[in-house]
Amino acid sequence: MKLVIQNLTKTYKNGVKAIDNLSIEIGTGMFGLLGPNGAGKSSLMRTIATLQSPDSGSITFGDINVLEDNMSLRKVLGYLPQSFGVYPKMSAEDLLDYFATLKGISNKTERKAIVKEVLEITNLYDVRRKHVAGYSGGMKQRFGIAQLLLNNPKLIIVDEPTAGLDPAERHRFLNVLREVGTNCTVIFSTHIVEDVKELCNEMAILNGGRILKHTTPQEATGVLKGTIWQKTIEREDLEENEKLYNILSSNYNQDNTLNLRVHASEKPSEDFVEVEPQLDDVYFIALKQDEPELV
Amino acid sequence: MFSTIFKQELKYWFNKPAFYIYLAIFLGLSFFLSAASAGFFDTITATTGSSRIVNSPTGVRNVFNALTVFIFFLFPSIIGLSIYRDYKSEMHTILYSYPFTKANYLFAKFFSGIVIVSLIVLSIALGMIIGFRFPGTNPDLITTFNGATYLLTYLIFILPNVLLFGAIVFAVVAFTRNIAAGFITVIVLLFVQGVVASVLGEPEQRTLLALLDPFGDGAVIYYTKYWTPSEQNELQIPIKEMVIYNRLLWLGISTLIFGLVYRFFAFSQNALSISFKKSKGERVIKTNFSGITKIVLPEVTYNHSFSQNLKTMWKLSNIDFKYIVKSWPFISIVLVGLVLMIVGLSEIGNIFGTPTLPVTWKMLNIGGVFSISINICTFLYAGMLVNRAKIARANHLVDATPIPNWTLLFSKVIALVKMQWILLAVIMVSGILFQMYNGYYNFELGHYFTELFLLSFLGYFVWALLSIFIQTLIGNPYLGLFVLLVISIGMPFLSTAGIELDIYKYNQGPGFGYSDMNGYGILTPFLMYKLYWILCGLSLLIIAALFWVRGIPSSFGERISIAKNRFKGGFAISFIIFFVAFVSLGFSIYQETGTKANKTSAKEFELRRVEWEKKYKKFENYAQPRIVAVNANVNIFPKKRFYDASAKFTMINKTDQAIDSLFLNHNSLKSTFTFNKPNKLVSEDTIHNFDIYFFENKIMPGDTLELEVTVESDKNTTYRRKSPIRENGTFINNFSMFPSLGYSSNGELTDDKTRKKYELPPNDLKPHPSDSTALGNTYISKDSDWIDFEATVSTSKDQIAIAPGYLQKEWTENDRRYFHYKMDNKILNFYAFNSARYEVKKEMYKGISLEIYYHKPHTFNLDRMMKGMKRSLEYNGKNFSPYQFRQARIIEFPRTGGTFAQAFANTMPFSEGIGFIADVDDKSDDGVDYPFSVTAHEVAHQWWAHQVIGADVLGATLLSESMAEYVSLKVLEHEYGKTKMRTFLKDALDGYLLQRTLERKREKPLMYNDGQGYIHYQKGSMVLYALSDYIGEENLNNAIQKFTKKVRFQNPPYTTSIEFVNHLKEATPDSLQYVIKDMFETITLYKNRVTDAKVTALDNGKFEVEIDFEVAKYRNDEKGKRYYGEKVGDTLSYKTDKMNKPILSSLLNDYIDIGIFTEKEVDGKKEEVELYLKKHKITSINNSIKIIVDEKPMEVGVDPYNKLIDTQSEDNRRKVDVTNK
Repeated sequence: MKLVIQNLTKTYKNGVKAIDNLSIEIGTGMFGLLGPNGAGKSSLMRTIATLQSPDSGSITFGDINVLEDNMSLRKVLGYLPQSFGVYPKMSAEDLLDYFATLKGISNKTERKAIVKEVLEITNLYDVRRKHVAGYSGGMKQRFGIAQLLLNNPKLIIVDEPTAGLDPAERHRFLNVLREVGTNCTVIFSTHIVEDVKELCNEMAILNGGRILKHTTPQEATGVLKGTIWQKTIEREDLEENEKLYNILSSNYNQDNTLNLRVHASEKPSEDFVEVEPQLDDVYFIALKQDEPELV
Repeated sequence: MFSTIFKQELKYWFNKPAFYIYLAIFLGLSFFLSAASAGFFDTITATTGSSRIVNSPTGVRNVFNALTVFIFFLFPSIIGLSIYRDYKSEMHTILYSYPFTKANYLFAKFFSGIVIVSLIVLSIALGMIIGFRFPGTNPDLITTFNGATYLLTYLIFILPNVLLFGAIVFAVVAFTRNIAAGFITVIVLLFVQGVVASVLGEPEQRTLLALLDPFGDGAVIYYTKYWTPSEQNELQIPIKEMVIYNRLLWLGISTLIFGLVYRFFAFSQNALSISFKKSKGERVIKTNFSGITKIVLPEVTYNHSFSQNLKTMWKLSNIDFKYIVKSWPFISIVLVGLVLMIVGLSEIGNIFGTPTLPVTWKMLNIGGVFSISINICTFLYAGMLVNRAKIARANHLVDATPIPNWTLLFSKVIALVKMQWILLAVIMVSGILFQMYNGYYNFELGHYFTELFLLSFLGYFVWALLSIFIQTLIGNPYLGLFVLLVISIGMPFLSTAGIELDIYKYNQGPGFGYSDMNGYGILTPFLMYKLYWILCGLSLLIIAALFWVRGIPSSFGERISIAKNRFKGGFAISFIIFFVAFVSLGFSIYQETGTKANKTSAKEFELRRVEWEKKYKKFENYAQPRIVAVNANVNIFPKKRFYDASAKFTMINKTDQAIDSLFLNHNSLKSTFTFNKPNKLVSEDTIHNFDIYFFENKIMPGDTLELEVTVESDKNTTYRRKSPIRENGTFINNFSMFPSLGYSSNGELTDDKTRKKYELPPNDLKPHPSDSTALGNTYISKDSDWIDFEATVSTSKDQIAIAPGYLQKEWTENDRRYFHYKMDNKILNFYAFNSARYEVKKEMYKGISLEIYYHKPHTFNLDRMMKGMKRSLEYNGKNFSPYQFRQARIIEFPRTGGTFAQAFANTMPFSEGIGFIADVDDKSDDGVDYPFSVTAHEVAHQWWAHQVIGADVLGATLLSESMAEYVSLKVLEHEYGKTKMRTFLKDALDGYLLQRTLERKREKPLMYNDGQGYIHYQKGSMVLYALSDYIGEENLNNAIQKFTKKVRFQNPPYTTSIEFVNHLKEATPDSLQYVIKDMFETITLYKNRVTDAKVTALDNGKFEVEIDFEVAKYRNDEKGKRYYGEKVGDTLSYKTDKMNKPILSSLLNDYIDIGIFTEKEVDGKKEEVELYLKKHKITSINNSIKIIVDEKPMEVGVDPYNKLIDTQSEDNRRKVDVTNK
C-alpha cells in the first residue's frame, strides 16, 4: 500500500511554517526521514498519524483518505511519538491490555496472548508487572514499540525511536522494525544517519517543512561517487580551509588533527584524496543546498 | 537573584490570560453580590428592604471573607504552581544547579504567588467598592465609603489567611511536587475549619473557637455574636484580645510552616516520597542480549463494531473508575466527608439537647453534608478524567488508536457515575452503621436505595454532565473545577437579579422530602425537572463530544471548525433529539409556571401588595357583619389529592349601623358564594380576589345573613404540586379554604424604606395597645368573635378525618368514611381538618378524653405526650381557670408539612418531627423531654389563645405564646426539677440573643412586640420565669388567674398586654416594680460578672467567701442602639485607673442573685449543690460582699442561673480556691 501526500501545508499560530506544500509518495518498506531538529519531521508524522490537521493538502494511504476518514487509518496505524508519558501506577501488562482494548481486540484470551508476545519481542516480559512510569528511558521506549505492534499495523510511524536506546536494544529494535515492516509501510524519522543506512530502502531529507531529496540510500551515495574528497589538517588551519572549500564536515582525530570532507566535482587540491561517499555526505549536501544564498 | 526570579514570576502571570480571567471573575462576583445586596436589581425584582447597612464594617467583612474563600481554591494553581512549574517543565533539573540561595528562590516564588493572589483579592475589594455605590443602588442601604474598613479587613483578616493557606499549599506542593496534593490540602483545610467550628459550636467553647479558628471568624464572633442591628450597622469590628491573639497565633503558624519549608527544602532532583513499605535495594542488570529475527504475532481478531465499542466503553470506565478510587484526592475528600458526616450524625437533629431517633430519613438528611464532597469529587474528577491522557502525556498514544471519541467520552461519564454511586453507598453504609451503633435496627433498605440511588443520584448526574462539558471545553481541571464551583454556588443567587424561574437555572427545580407518614408524596414535578435537566446535560454532552480533543488542535478556532465537521451522523441526530426534547419540555414547563397567567414574579408580587393597600385599605374600618356560626362539609380524597368543601356562614350585624356592602376576601380556588339575601356583585377583583357585594336592603343591626360557600381544591399538575391534600396526613386550615370578611392588613409591605418608594406612609404594623379604638378584633380573625362550629368531614375508607368538636356520628357511605363533629362550646373562627391512617391511643383523665392520633410505628413517646397533656391540664386548671372541653386530641401530621405543633380548639396537630421520634434520655441532664414540654405548650394554648385572646394590637402574643411557653416551663420544672430549667433557659437566652441580631425591621419590648418568635417564645418564657422567681410562682399565678377570670371568652373590646401587665404590677411589691419596667416595658440587658473571689477557711470550720462583682444594665432602642438613662444624670459610671473607658449603667436598685456552690457526689454522679443563693440589693456597679458558708465552696456567681438577659453569661460564675488563714 502506498502513502501519498500531496501539497500538504501547516502553519502554526506563531507563524512557523512546519510543513510547506509538501508532496511525496511512500511505498511499502522502510522509509527513513532524515532532517535536523525543527525540520518539521514530527509535524509531518503527527499529521499522517491523524493527530493534527493540516491547513491544506491531502493524504491517502491505499484507498483510505486519511484526512476525511481518520478512523480507518487508525485501525492500521502503529504510532510511536518522539516522547510520551504513561498512566502512573499501571503495570506494562495492564497498560498494554488497555491499549489492546482501545485498538479493538475484544477477546480477552487473544488480548492476553498478543500482550505476552509483544512483551517478549520488546524484551520487557520480566518487568511486565512493574509500573511503566518507573521504567528507564530505554525501557519506556521499548514499551512504546510494544504498544505499536498490538494492532498488527500496516502503516508504522516512529518518531526518533532509537534515541536513548543502548546499542543492543537499538539493534534489536531495528530488527523488529525491519521484520514487521516487510509487508507494510514504515516511516521512520531520525537524525542518526546510521539508522537509515542500515535499514531503509527509501529515504528523504526534510528541512524547513520541505522535502529536499527523495531517494534510496544506495542511489544517493552512488550519485556522489567521485565527488567526495578528504584531507587531514591541523586545527589552526580550519578557518583558512573554510574560506577555500565547500566543507561538508570536519571531525577530530585522536591526535587533535581534523578530517575535512569536501564536496566537489573535481579534486579541489593535491592534498585531498577521493573517499567513498557516505550517507552523511548526502545529508549535509542536501542541507547546504537549502541554505539561503548570502548576497 | 530574588528580584530576577520574582519579576520573572510576575511576568509569567501578567502574560497569562488565566490571571485576567480570575480578576474578571472575582471583580464580577463581588460587584454582583454587593450591588444586589445594595438594591441594584430593585427595578427588576422585589425591593431589597432592610434595616441593614450593607457596606457597614460587618457587611464588608462578610462579603470580603466569603469571596476570599473561593480564592483558596486557586492557591494550588497560583502559589503552588509557582514552584510546581519548575518541576513540570523539568526546569528544576537546570535551575537547581544554579548559584542562587534557597532563600532567594523560595521567597521569590512564594511572595510572587502572594502578590498575584493579593491582586485578585484587590479586585474583590474594587468590585465591592463599585458595587455598593453603583448608580441604581439604594442610597438608604449604604453608608459613606470608609477606606479604613476595607484596609482593616484586608490587613487583619484576609492577608493573614492568605499567608497561612498560601504557606500550607506552598509547603505541600514544594515537597510532594504534586499540585493535586496542594488542592486536596485546601479542601481538607476548609472541611477541617468547618469541623472545628461545629465541634466548638457550644457557647462555652467560644474562647477556644476564637483562638483556634484559622480564619479568625471565631474571634470576631466572640465579640460580635450578639450584636444588635444598630451595632452591626455602625461599629467597626473590634480588634481586641481574642482577635489579636488569634491573628498572632496563625501568623506564627504560617511563619513556622514557611520556616519548615526553608529548613527542609532541598534543591534535589527527586520529590520527597513517603512509602509505607520498606523495599530492599536491588541491583538491576541487563540480562537479555539476544537479537530477534523472526516475529510472529499471534492471530487476533479486531472488532470495531458499535456493540464492541459499547463493551469497550464499559471496560474503559472501569479502568478510569479504579484510577479515581485509588487516587489520593478522592480518598482524602471521602475521609474528610465521612468525618463531617459522623460529626453531623451525632450533632444535628437535636432539639433542646435531646437527640432524635436515627430513623432513615434523618440519616439521609445528614448525608446531605456529604453532598458537598460528592459535588467536589464530580467537578474535579470530570476534569481529571477528561484530561487524564493529556496529564500523563499519553494522549498521543491514545488518540492514535481507532477508538471513537464517543466511546472515550462516555466511558468518562460512566466512570464518574460509578464514583458517585460509591460515594452514595458510603452514605448508606455509614447511616446503617450509625443506626446499629445506636441500637436502632429498623433498616429501611428500600428507602435508602430509592433516595440515594434514584432521587439524589439524578441531581448528581445532572452535575456530572455539566462537569464533563465544562472540563472538556476548558481543558484545565483546576480552572474547570473553579468555574463549576462558581456556577453551582452562584446558580440560586440568580434570583436576586430577577431570574426567578427554575428552568433558567441549571439543575434547579422542586425538591423532594420524605416523611414516615406520607413517603415522598408526589414526585412527578421533581422527576420532570430532573428529566428536563438531564436532557439539557445530554445536549451539553454531545457538544462536549464535538469539542473532544483528539490529537493537538492548535487553537480554539480550530476546535470550533473540527466540531463543525463532527456535527453529522449520530452526533447530529442525537443532539437534535436531546435538544428539541429539552426545549420542548422547557417550553411546556414554562407554559405552566412561567407565563403571566401562571406566575407572579417577586416584583409583581410586591406591586400587587402596594396596589392592594392603595385600593382597599380605605375599607378597613367599613362596618361588616360578624360570623357567629360555621357549618362546614369537607370531602377529602387522599388518593386523588383533592378536596371539595362547602360551608354555611351565619353572620350577624353586631354594629349599631345598617350595613350595605359586604367585602369578601377570598382565595383563588374555584368557589361559589351565595347569600340568602338579595345582593349585587358590584366589584369583582380577580387579581386580589376581593369582591364587593351590595345589599339594596341593608342589613340592619341585629339582622342575620347567611353565606353558602363551595370550594374545590387546586389539582396537582405534572410540573407543580398545588393541592394541599396528601395521600396520608392531610392538614389544612380554614384560612386556606374559606373566605374572610373585610380588608386584611396582612398583605401590606412592612419595610418603611420600600413603602416610601411607593409613596405609602410608614407602617406601624399594628396599633398600640393603648389605642382603645383598635380593640375590636382578636389577633386571630377580623370577622368574628366566638363561633358555633360544626363540620362533616369525609375521607377514604382506611383513614380517619378530624375536625374540632366532638364526634357525633361516624358512618360509611359509597365506600367513604364520614365523620360529623360538633362543638358545644364557643370557639375562635380558626379550625383545621386532618386525615390519615391513624392509630388511636385514648385515656380518660378526670372526665377528659385524652387522645393521640398517630402513625402506627411512631409509638416511642406516646406516654410522654399523654403525661404532658395531663400535667398541663392540671397546671392550667388549678392555677388559672377550668378547661373548656371534655376532650384533648393530639394529631400527628407529616414532617413535610413543617416541624411544628399548633393548637386548635381541643385539637392539636403535631408534626412527626417534633416529638414523635425524639430519643429522650431521662438520665441526661443536658436534654429536655420536649415531647412532654411541647405537648404542655400546646395544651396551654387551650387557655392562652382559646380562652384568653388579645386584641389585634402590638404585644398580643404575650398573652398566648409567652404564656403557653411559661406554663410549659413550669410544668417541666415541676416534673423534672430545677436542673432541667438551666438547659432550657440557656437555650432560650442564646436563642433570643442570636435571633434578635437578625431582626430586619425593629425589636420592641416584650409587651409591645410585633409577634417575632424570639421575643414571644424565648424572651417571653425567660421573663415570665424570672418574674415568678422574683415575686413567687403562686403570687404571679394568682395575679394571672385574676386577669383570666376577667377576660376569658370576652367579647370586644378585647384585652391587651397592658391590662395583663397591670395585673402583674398589682402583685409586685414596689421594690420590684423596676423588674416589670425592665422586662416588659423596655429592652433591658445586664452586664454582670464576677471580677474576683476569695475564700478563707475559718477556725470554726466554716468558710468566708468574698466576692467582687460588677452589675451594670443598659437599654436598647428598637434598632438595638444602646442607652443608659432617660434623662441627664441618671447614668451610673464606674472607672478605675486601669480602665480606658468607664463602665456605664442605668440607675440600679436591683435585686440580683448571689450564689455559692459546691460539688457533691450523688448516686455516683457529681452534682452541683447550692450553699447559698439569695437576692442582694445592688445600687452600684462595683460591689464586694462577704458571705459565710458551712461547707467548702467551689464556685461563686452573680446571677448564676442566668435568669437575667446578659450577652456574656459565662462570666457570671467563677471557680474558687480556698486559702487558709
